[in-house]
Amino acid sequence: MRVSATVPVGGEPTLTDSQPPPSKRALSIAFWIFPGFFGLFGVVFVVLLRVIPPPRPDVDNKYITDYFETHHSSILIGLGLLCLVFGGSAVANGFITYHMKRMSSGPVFAYVYMGGLAVGSIPGMLLVAVCWGAAALRPDREPRIIAMLYDLGMLSFNGQLGCFATAYLAFAIAILVDKNNIFPKWLAYLTIWQIVTEVIATQMWQQTSGPFAWNGSIAFWLAVVVFGVWLNCQGLMLKKATDDHPAGTRPPD
Amino acid sequence: MQLLSGIDDLPRTANVRTQLMALWVTAISLALMLVAYAVFPGFWPPMSPEMSAEAVADFYRNNAGWIRFSMVTFNLCGLMLLPLFCVVTVQIKRMAAQSQAFAYCYLMATISGGTIFALAATIFATAAYRPNRDADLILVLNDLGWIVFVAPVGMALIQNLMLALAIYFDNGARPVYPRWVGHFALVVALAMAPAAFSMTVTSGPFAWNGAISFWLRNIAFGTFLVVLLVVSWKAVHRQAIDEGLTE
Amino acid sequence: MTESTSTSAVLADGRPIADGECSHLPGDTHMWVMVLGDLAIFGAYFLIYMVHRAMAPEAFLAAQQHLDVTIGVVNTMVLLTSSLFVALSVYAARSGRPDRAIKLTYAGGACGVLFVAIKAYEWSLELRSGHTVGNEFFSFYYVLTGVHMLHVTLGLIILGVSVRELRAPKRRRITLVEQGATYWHMVDLLWIVIFGLLYVVR
Repeated sequence: MRVSATVPVGGEPTLTDSQPPPSKRALSIAFWIFPGFFGLFGVVFVVLLRVIPPPRPDVDNKYITDYFETHHSSILIGLGLLCLVFGGSAVANGFITYHMKRMSSGPVFAYVYMGGLAVGSIPGMLLVAVCWGAAALRPDREPRIIAMLYDLGMLSFNGQLGCFATAYLAFAIAILVDKNNIFPKWLAYLTIWQIVTEVIATQMWQQTSGPFAWNGSIAFWLAVVVFGVWLNCQGLMLKKATDDHPAGTRPPD
Repeated sequence: MQLLSGIDDLPRTANVRTQLMALWVTAISLALMLVAYAVFPGFWPPMSPEMSAEAVADFYRNNAGWIRFSMVTFNLCGLMLLPLFCVVTVQIKRMAAQSQAFAYCYLMATISGGTIFALAATIFATAAYRPNRDADLILVLNDLGWIVFVAPVGMALIQNLMLALAIYFDNGARPVYPRWVGHFALVVALAMAPAAFSMTVTSGPFAWNGAISFWLRNIAFGTFLVVLLVVSWKAVHRQAIDEGLTE
Repeated sequence: MTESTSTSAVLADGRPIADGECSHLPGDTHMWVMVLGDLAIFGAYFLIYMVHRAMAPEAFLAAQQHLDVTIGVVNTMVLLTSSLFVALSVYAARSGRPDRAIKLTYAGGACGVLFVAIKAYEWSLELRSGHTVGNEFFSFYYVLTGVHMLHVTLGLIILGVSVRELRAPKRRRITLVEQGATYWHMVDLLWIVIFGLLYVVR
């Protein structure tokens, strides 16, 4: 049961007419940046910065300063790589926004999604790299300052709640209301779980150990599994939406 | 641009008018930012990552006034680049159907990029706020400020990439932007890219005060903004002609 | 919610196929994905809870004494009653009695609201006695019951969608009502497990 994804074109004629045959190469480029970026994201955050999985919150300053000294180079290179490629998140999420505008649910939630993630990428992705880069930059800094940067980085990365919860809520509602079936309904339900993990993440601001700390079994490990499943599903469904996108059409303005 | 009489109330007219106003806002802001850039003592010469905590603290103490002025101006005017970027977004949306997706990616990149710029200005200004703060605290603020100011070029790179792709795929009868703008955008992106790794070295051309990470990056981006302003004005003018609003 | 192509149990001219009988799996695939996935994730939470409990049995036992089992039992009864109402409303909807279905859904929803109110009261009791998330058992308590309450709230919204569906004479898609009931029953089931783990198992 395939519902055609043709969307009524906005009233105004385009000033520049597409020459036949319309190609989808632009969409293809936009799509492939999604997995490309997240692949690099994995390299940056898992291999270089070592933020995923996170080191423990319940450690003393000596441990933290040793940690930054040991991983000095990889953290700085990780920060550098992130600074180079993190624009990919704007493409990945901007492309999702584009597909959301093809939905029949109206443009509002597309803009909410766009806004939420445009904001979220800074305190929720860049900041940890910047803080940890600053911490690793000068090993002879006061331990208490290095420890503060450690906390500031980890908490802003794992504990960034509102931007993502808002964006996920917008995504879920838009999908559920959409009659053009741009994304399947079950993806909306998966997204609701993402919101729940954000709500649970509130606890990590209050714990330094246990299942709800930033490295906890529930607040981190379970959450990262759910996130991994969700992100992969979003990516796969994005591919499907792009493949089903009729060439040469555009969403309403 | 003289708009034809009798069409003052059309939405199309307002669309063109507000785009022009947006370009003016950005033009004025750019001029102000240039002044702020010229008077920020930390750029002449750009502060070395190898400065000691004492030297950095002294610098902030001795130059607090100019630092505050320039960074507050940056903060105020930096985001006023957004009108230009939004004009570009509107123009991308006028392009051929296949370029549409890039408009949203472009807009997101400008928002995130602008946020980062505001953050850097905030950090620098905070470092100058209490001159008798401990030197090691001023040093860490200075480090954060420089890292955030110089290194996160990724959003600007994507902005330019999205613009270039949109232009390349704009195969309509009347391209919104001339093709060379796309090439230029990519060249600027390449010029800015090395700055991403500026914090991995503390001296030489790639350090955050170096010829490549600082001067080339900023001159390229600044030049690009001016060029973008001019070609966007021209694009809006063409839009006005195409929509019968002017001759 | 989601549409599916499965046939409604009410014929085009309003006659029911059979009183209360059903010819297809209730709800639809998307909602079952939600329900099963939700159960899986909660299952993981429960497992992790039991692991942590096994690591510190005395501490957990001591903390558990501070939970009022009576309130827990009351809440369980309230939610079970609401599930009964919702199940009855599905039967009523299938039998072509939308008004009765609407009333029953409201009744179920009212019980849901009561559940939330009682839980809020219980939370305020615990917080005032000084039991905050500082204690590991209580951090589980607040998170599990808090996330469950989130689900109840979502369930109330979904029941609202069911009511809206039943009201409009041109819609009244049975699958939508069934989806809402499926979700609500899941919420009930989760509570029973939470009740068992947190209140009863000592």
